[in-house]
Order: sequence, then structure tokens, then C-alpha cells
Amino acid sequence: MSNVTLFDVANGLATLLLTGLGSILPQPLHGWLINPNLIFALAATLFGAILLGASMINTIMLIWFERKMLGRFMDRRGAMHVGYAGLLQNFADGLKLFRKHTLRPREADSLGFYAGPTAYMVTSVLIFGILPISTGWSSGVLPLSLLLALAIFSFAPLFIFISAWSSNNKYSLLGGMRSAAQMIAYEVPILLAVVAVILVSGSFDLTTIVNLQQNYWFWGPLFLALLVFVVGMLAEMERIPFDLPEAEAELVEGWNTEYGGMLFAFFMLADYVRALVGSILVVLLFLGGWTLPSYVPSALTSFPLAGIFWFMLKTYIVFGVFVWIRASLPRVRTDQLLKVGWMRMIPLSLLSVVLAAMLVLVRCLPVFGCVPGLGG
Amino acid sequence: MATAEAAPPPKSSGENPILYVAKPLATAARQFMKSLIRPSTIVYPFERLEDPAFRDKVAVAAGKPIGVGHVWDNYRGVHALNIATCISCNLCAFSCPDLCIDMVTVPGGDPKHPKKCPQIDYGKCSYCGFCSDACPEGCLTMTTKYELATPKRSEMVYSPQKMNEIFERKLPMNPIRVERPSNEDAILLDVPLCIGCNACARDCPTQCITMLDIPKPTPKPGEKLPKRIWKEPVINDSDCVRCGTCISVCPKECLFWGTHT
Repeated sequence: MSNVTLFDVANGLATLLLTGLGSILPQPLHGWLINPNLIFALAATLFGAILLGASMINTIMLIWFERKMLGRFMDRRGAMHVGYAGLLQNFADGLKLFRKHTLRPREADSLGFYAGPTAYMVTSVLIFGILPISTGWSSGVLPLSLLLALAIFSFAPLFIFISAWSSNNKYSLLGGMRSAAQMIAYEVPILLAVVAVILVSGSFDLTTIVNLQQNYWFWGPLFLALLVFVVGMLAEMERIPFDLPEAEAELVEGWNTEYGGMLFAFFMLADYVRALVGSILVVLLFLGGWTLPSYVPSALTSFPLAGIFWFMLKTYIVFGVFVWIRASLPRVRTDQLLKVGWMRMIPLSLLSVVLAAMLVLVRCLPVFGCVPGLGG
Repeated sequence: MATAEAAPPPKSSGENPILYVAKPLATAARQFMKSLIRPSTIVYPFERLEDPAFRDKVAVAAGKPIGVGHVWDNYRGVHALNIATCISCNLCAFSCPDLCIDMVTVPGGDPKHPKKCPQIDYGKCSYCGFCSDACPEGCLTMTTKYELATPKRSEMVYSPQKMNEIFERKLPMNPIRVERPSNEDAILLDVPLCIGCNACARDCPTQCITMLDIPKPTPKPGEKLPKRIWKEPVINDSDCVRCGTCISVCPKECLFWGTHT
């Protein structure tokens, strides 16, 4: 599986489909169908569809995973009736939301009300086109893929604020303002923590960063950066204990108070897409991505789709830690949130940048060994 | 921007990372490990604690003594009625504080004395158990059945036949006996008050009251005889079940509980 990429698979499928279809059709149609441009267009569409399907199925499985895990934390069982162990419960919930009528408040602004959730969803899903899940999953060579992913990831407060403002509801507006303040406050430490990774790896390309970690996962030497990144990601994903924008006790449902039916499902799904992206970023930047250290038996890394298997396993473990935090900690106050963001996380992230610079200078650490191929 | 106007937060240990982050995380992890294999929540409609096999399995798994944590036998649930032994004495309906018991006719009585058995509206019932306590024959008892949910309100009314089916299922019964007139107690007649109206004999469920003629006294000059029927009830003690219906229906309140001297 080493050299077969996902695009190759999509291209092969498209070629097979179009040539097969073209061979049974008369001449003018036959000529149009085996046009290489058309094949390329269909291949790109198939590639996107496969990515979208994989990310959506993973997101919904993530919701199932969270429900089962939260159930265990609360000494109950979580979803268990639809499908085996409740695996299809979330599909059923999605179907129910899909069938519901979407109501718009009379005074709400129509454009923002409908465009907000759509843009939120689209930008959240868009990141999957950039993230390399395994070797061959990337959509192309992007030298700045890490920056691009983080840039798209930080679009969210804008669309949240747009949809909150156009809902014409005080709770929505308060939630949107909180969301914007929170995301801006935590954007800075996240980027600084990423700077530490970039310093050590000397690259903005996620594939390069992962390949550098083959024997040297960054979570050890850059533990401080990992801590800041995880806390910042919790705030960016608006998960407990930083779910102030949708604090049920104070703000009905926060910025999606006025949304129902499929628009609400968009918000819900996009939240979990962002949670999945956050977990994937932690795995990519700090936990070695799809690689395993070279001293593990090769049988563990040579079976088909091994990279994806190990990558998703790591991702789900990281998300399990997020669920663990959600099950344990209460929601913080707004002032505590901003205080932790500006006064604790930013100094810590600066410190982690300094530590990363020292690591680049020293090149070897007593416990963690020497960094292979350091520096840019 | 929200904190710009806010008052400075109180000095507290709210950011102590050991106390406020590490401890809850440890607690949650312990709970997770404990319920990883089998959470202690019972999946109720599929698993029931009153199912003895399941109950013992749970107890053994938790290392607890067998037989704990089920529905107890003296639970006051839906009634069971043995129609065969019911004597239509009405006592359950009389004793009901919620007026949820109606006496309805069931087949099996003679035309003169139709057999009436209680029909209970569980929408009103408060499960006090007074009716079971009052039942002289012990035919209306409370069982451990507690699942009453129905989609229709009319299905909350349980007919005597339905309660008889519950009786035939032989659930653990709870014959509530708080205090009852014993066999030494008898129903006595305050003779001067009686007007011979036949109400007690008419309503007696066991028909143990007969109205006997009494001699009409000859009035003395100037004395006016009371306006009444010259009969008075005689109760057959061996047939009487001490239900007290006659006391309830007596218009002159001349029947009362007492002991034969």
C-alpha cells in the first residue's frame, strides 16, 4: 500500500466507470466520455466524496464513542438499542433531525441565518481535504498545510457570530460574543504552541512533521506545548469545561438557540467535525501521526491500511481524553476562562517556544535522545 | 471585552490545579474503570430486579448477599381480586378515601341479589390499602405488580375480571390486615330506635339478617304509638362476616358494634 494514494484509487474508479460506460455507447457519446478532462473531473469529485464520506462517518462514530464513554463515566451504558451496541443511534438521530421543519424567527436576518451554519459546516469539513490521514491520503503537496489547516480552523468564530447575530435573540448574541472572545483568546497560545513544533521540525508541511516523528514523538520534549495545545483546542472546540458559548444553565443553548432541524444538525455535526480535527491535529503534531517507532515488530505496521488503523486508534484515544476531561470538570466562569487564556496559556506557550529553541540548539536531551534531522 | 467592566474576581483557590483539575480527573477515571465492563445501571424493561434469577446474578456480581434489592412482598401495587370468594359487601368501596372503587355487576349472582365486585380506577387510587384491609373475605389483596402505564386513560380502570386475572397469576399477595372486628364482636340493635325499615336485611351481602315480626303493643289511653313497621332485624351470627354494611345503611343509626353479654 506504500505508493497507492487515495487519488489513484479515485482516478482508477473514474477511468473504469467512464471507459466501461463509453464502450457500450455509440460513437459521439463514446468520444465525449473517454475525454481525459472528464475523467479527471470525475476522479476529483470521487476523491472529495470519499473524503467527505469518511470524515462524516468518522464524525458520527465519534459521537457514538463519546456517548458510550460518557455513559461509562456516569455508570450507565449510553446508546445501546439501535444497531449493535447503539452504533446506528446517531444515524437515526440525524434522520430525525433531517425530517424536521426548519423554523426561522420572523425578525431574524434570512441571509445570515441560513448562510452561517452552512459556512460553519463547509469550513469545518474543508479541513479534511488538507489533513493527511496516512501516507497517500493527502490531496497534494502543500508546503504550508499546517498553516492552512489552522487558518481554516479559525474561521469558525466569524460564522458563529454571524449566525448568532442574525438570529435576533439575546441569548444567541451573548453566546456568539462569548464564542468570539474565547476563540480569539485561545487562538494565540495555540499558534505559539504550534510554533514550537515548527521550530523543532523545521517545516510547515504536516507530512514532513509526521515523518520526522518516526522514532521521536514530540509529546515528550514538547510536553508544555502539548499541554497548551490541548487546553487551547478544548476552548476552540467549545467543549466542557470551556463550553461557555452554549452554557445551558445561563444561555438556553447559546448561539444555536434559534436553530432547529437540519440547521441545528449542521451545528452539532460541525462541532464534532472540529473535535475530530482537533484530535487529529494533536496526533499529527505530537503523537507521531500514522507512524510507529521502528523498534516495534514489522507485522504491526505492514498489514493493509495499517497507517490509517494506527492513526485512527491514536485519534480516538486523544478524543477519549477530551471526553474524560468533559466528564470530570465543571464549566469555568468567563473571567476565569479569559484569565487562564491570556495570563497562563500565553506565557506557557512562550516558554514552550523558548524550550523548543533550546532543544534545537542542544539537539540531544538526556531522556529523549537526539533529535533526528533537526532544524530547517 | 466582558471582563473589562467586571469587578475583580474574588481571591480564591479556584485555579489550584491539583484540587480543581487533577482530583476530579482521578475520580472520573476510577469510576470509568469500575464500570468499564458492567455499569451498575439496570436496563430496566429488559432486566428487572424482581426477576429472582437476574437479582441473584447482580448480587453475586456485586459481592452482596442474595435476595436484597427487589420489590418487597408487602409492596402495595395493583390489586388482585378473587371473584369466587367476593361477597359483594361493598366495604372496599366504603373505605376508599379516593372514591375510586365502583361496585359493578359481574355474572354469577341471583337476580334478586346481583353479585357486585369492585372496579378500581387507578387514575385516582392512592394505594393506601384500606380496601384490602376492609375486605372481610380477604379476596381483595394488593400485589407487587407496579407497571400501569397505558396509552389511554380509560385503560387505567381495572374491571373485576382483569383483577381476577392478576389473582390467577399468583403474584406475591399483600393481605393488609391492620385492625379488624374479631369474631367476638357482634352487631347489636338499639331496639327503641329501630323503625323496621328492612334496609339492613336488604343490603346484607350474606343475607344473614331476617326481619321478624314483633307484637304491636296496645296503646294506653292518650299515648301515641311511634310510626314504624313492627318488625326488627335478627342477625344470624354464624353467617355474619362482620362487614358492617348494615351499620352503614341503617337510617336511624340503631345498629352498632358490641359484644354479646
